[in-house]
Amino acid sequence: MMKKRIREGIGLTALNIFFIVLCFVTLIPILYAVSVSLNGQNSLLSSDFSFIPHDFTLRNYKEVLFGENILTWFQNTVFLAVVTVFLSLLFAVPAAYCFSRRRFPGRKMILKCLVLLNSFPAILSMFAIYRLLRPMGLINHRVGLILVYTGTMAVFSLWNTKGYFDTIPTEIEEAARMDGASDIQVVWKIVLPLAKPSIITTALQVLIYVWNEYIYATTFMTGESKYTLAAGLNSLQATEMTGSWPVFAAASITVSIPVLIIFFLCQKYMTSGLTAGGVKG
Amino acid sequence: MKNRRKDTLISYAWSGPSLILIALMVVFPILYTAYISLTNMNVYHWFDFTIIGLDNYFRALFVFDSGFLSALLATTLWTVVNMIFQLVIAFTLVSLLNVRKVKLRRLYKTLLMFPWAMPGYVSILLWKTGMFNTQFGLLNQWMEKLGHEAVRWLSSDVSAFLCCTVVNLWLALPFMIMIMDGAMQSIDRSYFESAVLDGATWLERTRYITIPAITPIIAPAVIITVFTTFKQFDVVYLLTQQAGAKTGSGFHTILTYAYENAFITNNYGYSSAISMIIFILLLVFSARYQMREEGDR
Repeated sequence: MMKKRIREGIGLTALNIFFIVLCFVTLIPILYAVSVSLNGQNSLLSSDFSFIPHDFTLRNYKEVLFGENILTWFQNTVFLAVVTVFLSLLFAVPAAYCFSRRRFPGRKMILKCLVLLNSFPAILSMFAIYRLLRPMGLINHRVGLILVYTGTMAVFSLWNTKGYFDTIPTEIEEAARMDGASDIQVVWKIVLPLAKPSIITTALQVLIYVWNEYIYATTFMTGESKYTLAAGLNSLQATEMTGSWPVFAAASITVSIPVLIIFFLCQKYMTSGLTAGGVKG
Repeated sequence: MKNRRKDTLISYAWSGPSLILIALMVVFPILYTAYISLTNMNVYHWFDFTIIGLDNYFRALFVFDSGFLSALLATTLWTVVNMIFQLVIAFTLVSLLNVRKVKLRRLYKTLLMFPWAMPGYVSILLWKTGMFNTQFGLLNQWMEKLGHEAVRWLSSDVSAFLCCTVVNLWLALPFMIMIMDGAMQSIDRSYFESAVLDGATWLERTRYITIPAITPIIAPAVIITVFTTFKQFDVVYLLTQQAGAKTGSGFHTILTYAYENAFITNNYGYSSAISMIIFILLLVFSARYQMREEGDR
């Protein structure tokens, strides 16, 4: 008995050590960036590197926040993200409700097409979208990017909210209608509160997509003052020739923090949406 | 009768904005790409392009030198390698996480979620500069300490493929771990208890209880991951193919290959043909796997 317990104890300790090492190894790229961004000496090329900065300083962060355009980029990104999320929901929710509750000719066919459309990678549309937006003067214009982002996420938003509406029993709505509620009242007062989880999930997915999108933002926007955070960070990249790795590291951490906070606060929604919705953006 | 028509109209009015947006930003690009794929549009024929029929498709599919077939092959290999590693590693880790009495499992899980929570492009760029960079990359600092010469990790095909695989696994494993962990938690403990009483070993329990029980639960997520892996662009593009900062590796997934032909060598007609081939390939796959589950919801 005693022997068995000792064996179990050793096994458990080994397992814990394994996981601690694993977590550390997993986090190395992030920890290294954090450490470099906080390190004062420019001793990057020396080999006495450690994960705890030798000479603690916030200088790199100061440079990121005040020396670069990061505040402008932050404003641009927040603006794009908020407008895109708002428009996505404004367009998706009524459509999703229709497709979930009403029966009309063409409904099934459209739904099937939507699933299929999702297999065209968004990135391959870039050239066509460029040709479409250019005559309208929307290249290098915020409205152009908003259109691209809302459009790219439209199928996902519609499908995700519709999937959730399907799971809400119609009896509640019917009862409300019996009591004389109008269509809009039913949606606004009954369906939307019930569908809150899926709406939050959709909004989060759109938000994170906009926050992380760099390829359209760099191709369609020129001029640093119009960059989003992602495009700006791309331009700060440190290569062998140019850029400063400590500043880039500081910028990377700064950009990631809002996303990390949102992710861990809303982890429940993040995960349920991806699995229940079935269609990944 | 009139009522029904009015009903239909109302339905389309409500879903109209969304459908118009989709038509404009999703359907139009596909149709336009299909049209351009039949033309010889490129840098030299920017305005005066003419329809040349299926030549671009022919070039992509039957001229091996064009690079499309090898990119397709590389992408298939990439998907298979990544999926095998993802499933095996995630399964092993989740099995270990679910050993009872691991008290800190919540903490470990949270820490292991970090790569997923970070913005993807930030992580990839951090890997590129922080780990693989020849000068200040951590890997080369370690190599130096061990007395080796600095290695250009991203410059040859094979090592670029491996580096991309490592980064992709790093990015994708948290999602897989989460899905598998959820599936494993949902298995009724009493199955295991009675199996232990019957003297089943760990291997037998895994083979006959765990795997059959989690397969249907994780299947949709695995299929989605296969698609996202096959459609991978960010990892390969940001690590090795960035405009102006190419590392010299020839490893392409089909998406980076299509992107390069459109925006680097400006071969729009050819690139559009590739886009259409990719679309058709993905359509065939998704028709097989996704339609059945989702089409009639």
